Amino acid sequence: MPDLFSNLALGFHVVFQFVPWSPAWLGGVTIPIPANILLCLVGALVGTLVGVLPGIGTIATVAMLLPITFGLPPVGALIMLAGIYYGAQYGGSTTSILVNIPGEATSVVTTLDGFQMAKQGRAGPALAIAAIGSFFAGCVSTVLIAVLGAPLTKLALAFGPAEYFSLMVLGLIFAVVLAKGSVLKAIAMIVFGLLLSMVGSDIETGASRMAFNIPELADGLGFATVAMGVFGFAEIIRNLDAGAEMDRDLVQQKITGLMPTRKDMIDSAPAIVRGTILGSILGILPGGGAVIASFAAYTFEKKIAKDPSRFGRGAIEGVAAPESANNAAAQTSFIPLLTLGIPPNAVMALMVGAMTIHGIVPGPQVMQKQPELVWGMIASMWVGNLMLIIINLPLVGIWVRLLRVPYRLMFPSIVIFCAIGIYSINNAPVDVILAGAFGLLGYWLIKHDFEPAPLLLGMVLGPLMEENLRRALLISRGDASVFFTRPLSAVLMATAAFLLVLALLPTLRKKRDEVFVESET
Amino acid sequence: MSDTPSHAPVGSIMPKWVRGPQDFVGGIALMAIAAFALWASSDLQGMHGFSFGAGTVPRMFAGLLLGLGFAITVVGLVTEGPHLATYAWRGPLFVSLSILSFSITIRPLGLVVSAFLTFMVAALGTHETRWRETTIVGIVLTVFCSFLFPYALGLPMQLWPRFLVQ
Repeated sequence: MPDLFSNLALGFHVVFQFVPWSPAWLGGVTIPIPANILLCLVGALVGTLVGVLPGIGTIATVAMLLPITFGLPPVGALIMLAGIYYGAQYGGSTTSILVNIPGEATSVVTTLDGFQMAKQGRAGPALAIAAIGSFFAGCVSTVLIAVLGAPLTKLALAFGPAEYFSLMVLGLIFAVVLAKGSVLKAIAMIVFGLLLSMVGSDIETGASRMAFNIPELADGLGFATVAMGVFGFAEIIRNLDAGAEMDRDLVQQKITGLMPTRKDMIDSAPAIVRGTILGSILGILPGGGAVIASFAAYTFEKKIAKDPSRFGRGAIEGVAAPESANNAAAQTSFIPLLTLGIPPNAVMALMVGAMTIHGIVPGPQVMQKQPELVWGMIASMWVGNLMLIIINLPLVGIWVRLLRVPYRLMFPSIVIFCAIGIYSINNAPVDVILAGAFGLLGYWLIKHDFEPAPLLLGMVLGPLMEENLRRALLISRGDASVFFTRPLSAVLMATAAFLLVLALLPTLRKKRDEVFVESET
Repeated sequence: MSDTPSHAPVGSIMPKWVRGPQDFVGGIALMAIAAFALWASSDLQGMHGFSFGAGTVPRMFAGLLLGLGFAITVVGLVTEGPHLATYAWRGPLFVSLSILSFSITIRPLGLVVSAFLTFMVAALGTHETRWRETTIVGIVLTVFCSFLFPYALGLPMQLWPRFLVQ
């Protein structure tokens, strides 16, 4: 316990640190600025912006901003990128409630009751509850990361290559179980991602694999390039299918009475707590994340409600639970990354990219060797959540006004930013073309109902999996039974097998589909 | 632009015995990708003794994908499924063209020309574009990018065409 406090103290110290700054145009004058706080604010603002604007997602934004973080110190860079992720969860709720457009996949379910509340003139309380719920969830999950971080790191040190491999198999199976639609197709997408990650030079022998003597492929396909293609460009092309003129009937009435009533608070408090718990759990699980958390929390609230028919007609629990859940999940998904070095979803995979750029290999050793990095980031999440509540509630009018920017002007702008973003990672024009090709591939995948998210997860875990598989088999002298005879590895493998069987059982599949059907009704 | 039809398009190219064309075609495409990967990695060294060669894992994944693709194809063959979605041509074509024009022009012509060109080509992607408005936004955005990336963020990027600078 005292460890915990000293760790958090270190974290806050890092966040509030002043660094000397002497820009060239001041002519050698040095002024101290709270750089990390400012970066946290920038992240939160950009995140909110991305969350509000439909048609541009968190993954594409983080990929786009990766090159920007080149010049920043590692702590600052990670603080900013983290801010974008949880900031987007706040921003997404705003447009869901006010205009019935989810700016982010994570707030799709919030439209169901949030927009109904707004129609009944209760937009203020809905926004306030969403923000309060998010803030509560943010606080709880910050503490959770701090509490779980150290023990999990210790556990991770007991992991050998066999355990790492089994854990990643478990993670991928989780991704399959939690993915939408066909199990078979989700597995196929993961394997496709694993295969894509094989392009480039072999880690042990350095042999060039499937690179066809193209120099840009010698180091493998860039993860940011693929992510930008499949999530950035493909999304734009898909949106253009439906015609650029999106339905944007703004709620024109003034938002009055931001504060929820006493009854609202009493109704939503338990829902916020339940949403936070559910979200925290789903966030930690590999393959989970904020999207599934919000869906699950909404379904759960509806199941246990005394009068389920209220849902969809402006029940405040229907706003409180998913909004708390998505924020909790967004933050707890940092736990596997920081402790085990395994990214549980695509955004975290990009964080790995950001860490590697700065020469940090994510894993248990980071927490020991660079505690200021890990704890600074954790502390910044709490500070960021506080900022977000301030950004979102009073400034809600500004964010909504942004929605009036028509898509016909927005999409060419996104194309440019994406193109410049990818180009500046390696200063390679070929990367931009590759991203474009992956955009077309992503569009094709969407048309054939293949999910791109498992593909990205497979791509990230591919090199790690191969390395650990080879190492484990080398240690065991080629005996594959090592994955089932080492106790920890056996438990992980058994869990994975059990989950896969469950996912294939028809009854559970029906349940799983129900969760997603909510979004379509 | 086109809406995704919920019923079978008239004159569908798929034979009647394919009951889920979307999965059928999807599975075949995955099998093709897997076969291509198998071919591309065939020159790599395989197992020697109990240690893996460079080609072992890629071939393993490619083989797995081949199997999964086959399973999806079979599912598409025997179970009722959605029809092939229709593709729009305008969005994909012009967005791809604009990406292509960016990557070709950024080196020789610099950010200013390249960004504006990319914006205008991308704007062709929808018939709703109003040219006066788009041109103004394109100019504003180009100016914004020209300050943001090379100056504010300090990324090494050439602003003006090479032949003008020299």
